[in-house]
Amino acid sequence: MLLLHRDSLLATFLVVLLGLSACGTQVERVGVEETHDLSGAWNDTDSRLVSEEMINDMLARPWRQEYTSRHQQQPAVIVGTVRNLSHEHINVNTFVNDIERAMINSGKVTFVASSQEREEIRDERMDQDLHAREDTRKPMGQELGADFMLKGTINTIIDMEGTTQLRYYQVDLNLISLRDNRIVWVGQKKIKKLVKNSKLRF
Amino acid sequence: MRRKAHFSLSKILRWFCGTWLLLQLAGCATYSQGFAPIEQQLAAQDPATAMQVLEKQRHPRGDLLLYLLNKAMLQRMQHDYAASNETFEQAKQLIQTYAAISVTEQTAAFVFNDTTRTYTGTPLEQVMLHVYAALNYLELEEPQAARVEALQVEVRLRQLMQDSPQSALSVDPFARYLSGMIFEDLGEYSDAMIAYRKAYEAYQAHAELYALEIPEYLQRDLLRMAHKVGLTNEYQQLQSRFAITLEEEPDPETGQGEIVLLLHNGLAPIKREHSVAAVDPGSGRLIRVSLPYYQSRPELITAARLSTQTKETKTQQVEAIDQIANQTLEAYLPAITARAVARAVLKYNMAREAGKQNDMAGLLVNIVGFVSEQADTRSWLTLPANIQIARLKLQPGSYNLTLELLDILGQVQYTTNLTDVKVKAGQRRYISYHYVPRYWVSK
Repeated sequence: MLLLHRDSLLATFLVVLLGLSACGTQVERVGVEETHDLSGAWNDTDSRLVSEEMINDMLARPWRQEYTSRHQQQPAVIVGTVRNLSHEHINVNTFVNDIERAMINSGKVTFVASSQEREEIRDERMDQDLHAREDTRKPMGQELGADFMLKGTINTIIDMEGTTQLRYYQVDLNLISLRDNRIVWVGQKKIKKLVKNSKLRF
Repeated sequence: MRRKAHFSLSKILRWFCGTWLLLQLAGCATYSQGFAPIEQQLAAQDPATAMQVLEKQRHPRGDLLLYLLNKAMLQRMQHDYAASNETFEQAKQLIQTYAAISVTEQTAAFVFNDTTRTYTGTPLEQVMLHVYAALNYLELEEPQAARVEALQVEVRLRQLMQDSPQSALSVDPFARYLSGMIFEDLGEYSDAMIAYRKAYEAYQAHAELYALEIPEYLQRDLLRMAHKVGLTNEYQQLQSRFAITLEEEPDPETGQGEIVLLLHNGLAPIKREHSVAAVDPGSGRLIRVSLPYYQSRPELITAARLSTQTKETKTQQVEAIDQIANQTLEAYLPAITARAVARAVLKYNMAREAGKQNDMAGLLVNIVGFVSEQADTRSWLTLPANIQIARLKLQPGSYNLTLELLDILGQVQYTTNLTDVKVKAGQRRYISYHYVPRYWVSK
């Protein structure tokens, strides 16, 4: 009888153990600046680092000095399309937003709203024309035309052997003068990641 | 004496617990048997109800990938392409997570049966996942995102090539062909040329495994692209091989658009279980070996005719999923059989060892071993039997199209209208049509 009792005790213990191991979602807060590489895919850290570094490089180059000394004002820049030519569904919008933020916050260039944003603002002005008070009404035809457009591509090359992958990202950005199609700056940033997937799991 | 009786009672109790646990583990029906109610709704051309049936079914953790793949397919059948792609993304993550071989699952598969392993898909299914995701993006008119899928399929095919470089199944013709079309849509002509060329080679490799015709559309695409990127030698070689001249092709600058209709015809073959059971005459023990085999569906629809008021064209088969699935299983069968036989030997020995200590225990182990033997009949069942393509060059505008599905004698079996299909100048418009006939043979 005693042995039977011991068996059932053991069984209960096992059930409790199994139950315990199955439950409990863990949440841990992490800093936005911290780097966490989970799958090896393009992530927020890549987007932030690349945009910051590239824009710093862009603003340090001679084209800006040249423009400012010739026109006695800051150049106005607009972000065009950044094409995703990589093998991942990269959210290009967050990357473009990172670029815009880096540029505006530098205070070294004037920044013009993108074509989609402009549409909305024009609608608002049109609305003001009808409904707003005379002294607060904003006239049409006063928009600041951009001097330069920033365009670019995100590319990847993947090399692999067994469960190991070498992911190579290359981001190219070109700054093109809208007046005469001159390319005044070419920026390039490369990231290399070695992703090793385990062959075995529990 | 009393003490001994108690001991064996507890032992028997434990065995009963073990048996009960194992039966739970093994389940009673094989995976493919649960598909019948979904198939019934699909044959009624009602993917929405099929989806409800799927959602109500129980999905063990090991079969999660199949649930996601079926769900994504049913979502695209309901034209919910964005949701379908979200589901495909989950499926991709799952495949990546479970790509590594599990020690515990392998052990369980060795002791019980192959269905204890987490399903990660056959090479064909993994490739088709990207193909259907790409088609979803094309139908959403997001060629840039479809291009990402084309690159991912390239990575997948490279992995397959590394794993088994000799196998013709490591190349997939339609995945390559579709990639070529995507590159061409985006104006990347040299990439398109390479993809078309690889597609052509893949069709040739597959032609050695089963009967297939290389689609004439691909032949024309190859010629046109060779001409466009200026490969004069290759152009002449291809021209003499295909005996096609491109003169009749309208000038791409005339502003014509094109409708690309993809017919997802029928259902992929279904895996069934074939068991051999025997009684060992010496010991009276039961032995069973179960292996999967594919049951192909009868080919009720062989082609389709797509027509507007003035023009018509017939579909050409671009991917023979039924044949490829059969070939894939055939390639894996030696390994599956070896595992099943090794398992039978193990189970026999386990029963014998248990029987040495206690007759009852030996019998129970034998029964558990016998019952738990089950073939792995899991596969992506909402895949079609084949994919066919029809292309019509049309002036920009809105069209009402008629799609007639034809049987082997060319008789119209089913007619449907595709209304208000918009064609834009210089662009391809991709549309899919899924058709599942009522198969009487299916259990």
